[in-house]
Amino acid sequence: MKYLLSWSEQTMQKILKIAHREYIETVKTKAFIIGLLMTPVIIGAIVIINGYVSQSISGPRPPRRIEVADLSKELSDEIEASFDEYNESHSEKQILLQELHADENAGEAAKEKVRNGRLDAYFVLDKDSIEGAGRIISYTSGSKMSDLDLVSTVENVLNRAVVNRRCRLSDVSRELLDKLRRRVPVERVDISLASDEKQRRQGEQIIKAMVPFFFMFLMFMGIFANGQQMLTSIIEEKSSRIIEVLLSAVSPFQLMTGKILGVAAVGLTVMSLWGAAAYATANWQGLDVRVPVKLLLCFAVYYVLGFLLFSSILAAIGSVCNTIKEAQSMMMPISFLFILPIMAWPLFVEQPDSALVTAASFFPFLTPMIMILRISSSSDVPLFEILATMAVLALSVLAVMWVTARVFRTGILMYGKKPGLREIIRWLRYT
Amino acid sequence: MNAVSLEKVSKSFGSVRAVDGLSVWVPAGCIYGFLGPNGAGKTTTIRMIMDIIRPDSGTIEVLGGYSAERAKNRIGYMPEERGLYRKMTVRKVLAYFGAIKGLKDDELARAVPQWLQRVDLANWADKKVEELSRGMHQKLQFAVTVINNPELVILDEPFSGLDPLNQDLLKEIILQMRKEGKTIIFSTHVMHEAEKLCDCILLINKGKVILDDRLRMIRSQHSSQVIRVELQGDTSFVETMPMVESVKSDGGLLEITLANGDTQRFIRELVQRANVISFEIKVPSLHEIFVKLVGADDAEDS
Repeated sequence: MKYLLSWSEQTMQKILKIAHREYIETVKTKAFIIGLLMTPVIIGAIVIINGYVSQSISGPRPPRRIEVADLSKELSDEIEASFDEYNESHSEKQILLQELHADENAGEAAKEKVRNGRLDAYFVLDKDSIEGAGRIISYTSGSKMSDLDLVSTVENVLNRAVVNRRCRLSDVSRELLDKLRRRVPVERVDISLASDEKQRRQGEQIIKAMVPFFFMFLMFMGIFANGQQMLTSIIEEKSSRIIEVLLSAVSPFQLMTGKILGVAAVGLTVMSLWGAAAYATANWQGLDVRVPVKLLLCFAVYYVLGFLLFSSILAAIGSVCNTIKEAQSMMMPISFLFILPIMAWPLFVEQPDSALVTAASFFPFLTPMIMILRISSSSDVPLFEILATMAVLALSVLAVMWVTARVFRTGILMYGKKPGLREIIRWLRYT
Repeated sequence: MNAVSLEKVSKSFGSVRAVDGLSVWVPAGCIYGFLGPNGAGKTTTIRMIMDIIRPDSGTIEVLGGYSAERAKNRIGYMPEERGLYRKMTVRKVLAYFGAIKGLKDDELARAVPQWLQRVDLANWADKKVEELSRGMHQKLQFAVTVINNPELVILDEPFSGLDPLNQDLLKEIILQMRKEGKTIIFSTHVMHEAEKLCDCILLINKGKVILDDRLRMIRSQHSSQVIRVELQGDTSFVETMPMVESVKSDGGLLEITLANGDTQRFIRELVQRANVISFEIKVPSLHEIFVKLVGADDAEDS
């Protein structure tokens, strides 16, 4: 018993020494530091450019040119008044009503102008649009994003003209109409989190809606980017012939476990730094984002288990390959499983408790990302389900490690030809 | 007591039988040469001793235990495929391998500078490994192998690629370790290295032992029938002596091949008939024994 204890203590020490070196030597590399700093910078740049672009959409733009045909022949005053009113209140987004026709004789000429770009849009207001079911028909050429905006604006302006006309016909005064039309101001309050129900600005709600995505993205980067790290590290040791020197001191299992733990620690460091930076930025911007402790705990557990699963597979892949290129083609199918939740994330956020999503949560490769999305988007994922998915994930980690440790043991000393799947299966049976 | 013992150990890779029922006992405190042509199964056997690969059958005992995994802290192993972390400093590489071989911090603080001194790398301690020359890299590799002051040292083709200065340094380290009572096993296919260093040798071919003995006994068993003598005066009578099979003349030196192995009787007769200036019983080199045995083994198979 004492012998066994001293042996397991020795094993632990070796694993920790390997993890420690892996951590220190990774954190010191330029690639790591650049990655650590550049990722937030790139994300920041995307946010800023995005903001700039959306600002320029709401900012000034050159006046748009349109023509309108009013087949009812009785709306011209209202239409002109309506456009004047619009242009007065939108000095940066003028709409130039170049011609107002009373029939459709000029229609073909106008459509031709739209086609060759001398006109942005041409509108036809049906004859019985005031009393009956007449429509507004718009003609544009090619579907540009900016046309959608223009068309809906002009439709509103024309509608306003029609409504004004109807009012006049029904003897409703302009003042009464404005009074009737006055919109009720809105205010949006979220009461799910705070006991002190305080008002939230709309920006905060968007940020809050982004929190699940942020956590999933962090999980993805942590598992995926650091998994690559693992692969690089093993292939480097293999190609520089360090592996067998290491095996003179430690067993293949100790080596693999130590490396995985070291890289996992690197991942946790990166994510803590990014998470803290994001939180600090949000606070600095005056946004009140709350992250419950339960979410952080779940994140840590799912991350560690998910990383163990992914990286032990990568360790096996790394051990049988001689170059990064070979390894990358082998990891494609596994990578796809991890990318899947990134592509389908709105589904998981909108229906976090549907049967499909619940079932997918139990599929080990999807568990970490789906569960973190669910937990961060709705607070009522049952505790039982959290524990059960963790247990399933932990069991599959053990099973996968049992297999990969065997592949690793044999593969790590193989140079030259990459073994086929059939040969790898044979290793499982014989070692 | 045996430092390492293998009993009927076999290992196959696919249809290739790399090691075939090998039984070996390496006595503690000797220098043991593991000889054989390329592909004989030397590296496979050594990897099995180190528990890096597992035998298909048979048992292996290392330093009194059934698993080298537990004994790894007491073993220094230099594989044939060897390299070091290029981006780490010399001192850190040495300390790291010391640490994973179970040295405590205070032991490391003593052993690292001591070994850097011993292999003449003290001035390079804080340089990165990639800055070292090939020769220095090799010296660092020895230091890494023995940093844990092992009881058993296993070296797989230690001399391949070494420059003559490093070969001498390594031999000196090996002899020093034997003086300290340690066991050294090394594999090589360069026979004269083994001849100069080994107390015992094991000759294997195609995974089987073809020779296993103390070096002196091997030589006497395989002593050839060749004698070199330098005689004064007329030497023509030698060819007519009954025990002589053939005579080759090389200046004043005669190389005499005897019909049977009784060299002592031949000397007695020679002294009675002529004035002997010099006399040598030619001892076969290990190289000759190797070529003879492996050649015969291969011929038998084909």
